[in-house]
Amino acid sequence: MRIGIDVGGTHTDAVLLDGSDVVASTKALTSADVLTGITNALDTVIADVPQADIEAVMIGTTQFTNAVVERRELSPVAAIRVGLPSGTGLPPMVDWPDDIADALGRHSYMVKGGSLYDGWPLASMDDDQIDAAIADIASKGLKNVAVSAVFSPMNAAPERAVADRVRAAIPDARITCSHTMGRLGLMERENAALLNASLLAFADRVVSAFMEAIRARGLTCPMYVSQNDGTLMNADFVRQFPALTFSSGPTNSLRGACKLTGLTDAIVVDIGGTTSDIGVLEGGFPRESNVVISVGGVRTNFRMPDIMAVGLGGGSIVAADGKTIGPRSVGHRLVTEGMVFGGDTLTPTDLVVAGGHAEIGDKSRLSGLSADVVAAGNATIHQMLDDAIDMMKPNADPVPVILVGGGAVLVSGDLKAASVLHRPENAGVANAIGAAIAQIGGESERLVSYSTLPRDAAIEKVKAEAIERAIDAGADPGTIRVADIEETAIPYMDEGNTRVRVKVIGDIAALAKKEAN
Amino acid sequence: MQVRAEDLSDLSLGAVFLATGGGGDPYVPEMICREALKKHGPVDLVAPDDLPDDAYVVSIGGVGAPTVSLEMLPSVDEATRTLEAFEAHVGRKIDAVVSFEIGGGNSLIPIMAAAGRGVPVVDGDGMGRALPEAQMMTYAIAGVCPSPAVAYDYAGNVTTFTTPDTPTYERHIRSLAMASGGMITTAEHPMTGAELKPAIIPGTVGFSVTLGRALRENRGRADQLLPVLKDVFASSVYGECRLLYCGKVSDKATRIIGGYDIGEATLTPFSDEGDALTINIKNEYLVARLNGRVVATVPDLIVIVDYETGTPINAERLRYGQRVAVFAVGCPDFFRTERALEAVAPAAFGFDIPYVPLEQIEV
Repeated sequence: MRIGIDVGGTHTDAVLLDGSDVVASTKALTSADVLTGITNALDTVIADVPQADIEAVMIGTTQFTNAVVERRELSPVAAIRVGLPSGTGLPPMVDWPDDIADALGRHSYMVKGGSLYDGWPLASMDDDQIDAAIADIASKGLKNVAVSAVFSPMNAAPERAVADRVRAAIPDARITCSHTMGRLGLMERENAALLNASLLAFADRVVSAFMEAIRARGLTCPMYVSQNDGTLMNADFVRQFPALTFSSGPTNSLRGACKLTGLTDAIVVDIGGTTSDIGVLEGGFPRESNVVISVGGVRTNFRMPDIMAVGLGGGSIVAADGKTIGPRSVGHRLVTEGMVFGGDTLTPTDLVVAGGHAEIGDKSRLSGLSADVVAAGNATIHQMLDDAIDMMKPNADPVPVILVGGGAVLVSGDLKAASVLHRPENAGVANAIGAAIAQIGGESERLVSYSTLPRDAAIEKVKAEAIERAIDAGADPGTIRVADIEETAIPYMDEGNTRVRVKVIGDIAALAKKEAN
Repeated sequence: MQVRAEDLSDLSLGAVFLATGGGGDPYVPEMICREALKKHGPVDLVAPDDLPDDAYVVSIGGVGAPTVSLEMLPSVDEATRTLEAFEAHVGRKIDAVVSFEIGGGNSLIPIMAAAGRGVPVVDGDGMGRALPEAQMMTYAIAGVCPSPAVAYDYAGNVTTFTTPDTPTYERHIRSLAMASGGMITTAEHPMTGAELKPAIIPGTVGFSVTLGRALRENRGRADQLLPVLKDVFASSVYGECRLLYCGKVSDKATRIIGGYDIGEATLTPFSDEGDALTINIKNEYLVARLNGRVVATVPDLIVIVDYETGTPINAERLRYGQRVAVFAVGCPDFFRTERALEAVAPAAFGFDIPYVPLEQIEV
């Protein structure tokens, strides 16, 4: 059996899964120290099961995203970019918001080196220049270092060479190389490496605390953490790549909806207190956004699900005539300010109760509402969701819609955009289920020239790197399969210059061994 | 009139609209330009008519694959160094710089060069939009010789050109760009003030700021944006502006042929009932056909924007499922002469259809 835990800003949810069956589930408020909430959730779901039956614990957490957004727990970082003479005058962090650049300390170093798109050296590396930068970093006592280099996704050697020199001079340095973090796009990849490096110390504390909580409950099974593409990282991997957890919440919700309904291609609408988050399942995984994603005001190119947030939730504020709803919301104060709860703010929750579609709170408090307002309000709810779903649909064909989240009750009628409407049982803990069922993935991307390396060989090469990464992250080599191959031709360049990205997925090695025994 | 750091986001948004799907992502050029203006202060814009006839002006911009600049960043002073290399090559000072292409990131390169060199920028450009080849520039069409010209790369390598005709020059700079990491900056098509005045699309730098501001202040659904855009274009060198279509991208297939992103996009109505719009792409959006009937062609501008926000969408980023609107804008009169149409009509891009000015096509 597996346990999935989702640590959100408001709630900590947990489920115990036996195969596909939800054996136990719980939803509780997230505690200020996070850990108490996790421990309580664990206690609830394992109360009736022997500890030895638990094979793995999977945790999805927003702690690292929140640390960046709130500028907490961030360590100072030295940024070394290998790329001069290109980019002179544009040092790392040049376009960052001041508060987060200050939090990391603005320690930027630029040295010669890197590659051109075709592998030709951009400039020869100068060991003295690199050593001078490292000496300065050491003299400042900086322990976290992010290393980036021009075209490092195609040639990682310059980053590795600098990392080796840093490690030799500062043995306890924690280093993030940009080629391990992301795709082409130097500044975005470098930003990802910087954010990751600044979270490394915090990641150690978080992972140790998770392990401690699990061990304290007598569980000896492995622990995994969800990453933003719906796959898992083992504990060691999280200590190295905490930033890969960004945006894992919406991903887990989509994956959970997939598991709960068995649908691999559908629209998932997660209705909360303030927003409805609409995502798209394609082949069982979230459709990824292909635009630059800002995390706490910093541009990154992380793999993020394509999510559209609509200002409609259970606590949204409804205009007096019912024709406008949100985006302002009473949020978690719904339980005191909503009319059915004794307050005087009209919310979608009140509209649904007044329409006789749900029984929440005290319906008698709504006797003063006009039937026209209730009808108009309920129509507005459906119209807003219909419009948004229509925008996210991959094509004109009718598409199944899965409703999850505590606010799913707001949908009382049909949605025109939906071929069929699913309201799975346990939809309230879809995130935790999504965490529990995840597999382990690996991804690699390269800019290749099909005129020098034939297409099949090029894809094979990129695939081999993705598989290597999946195995490093804890995947069972025998179960790894290709999830996605993406080829993008590069305009204004010679024919055959193509960006190839391969994503592979496999079962958890630790569990596979157990099943084999 | 001046270009200040605070004008850059509007200028760049307007320039992306005028890029008609080409021109690359303006993020990096805009950031560099902002750094240059912060360092050197605002740049003076001079109207072509205010240039002395004997002024010496050179056009400047980037050549190659803008995608490469997202990985191998340009240097803040690269454009200025290019100008200095040009001056060293010709042995005289220049009085002003001018853009060769207002569409996309190339609108900003003359501004950074001028900031670093302390010279004004001419308000105007050689395309009034984005176009894929140097011989499609108004300067070349008007008979300006491409050389003396210099190219400057990431490492400070300088290459000089002595080439009498623009198509040959174009072929040479493309090869050099590939050998120099994919992107170079060139100073080329030098002109006197007297030569420049009849050879330029005037006012496009200032107009980009106006257009970008209008798009920002009226951010919203394309049908609500239309009256605003009609007003903005009516009082410019462009003229007519039409909303051709609103719908979803139901197909997009492009592939790289000879260094260009060539292909077609198909749009269908939101309701799925009604005529489809197809758009031919060669880096830029070139021909629009409604159910097979031609409704706009190059050199008139075809622009695809996000339906909800009016934000222009680059051809590289156009993808299946996006909800978009398509605008068409009449090109400046310069391109409607017989001589100009030889270089920029649909036939110049391999389409066997005549050019009919937008205003003469029935809605």
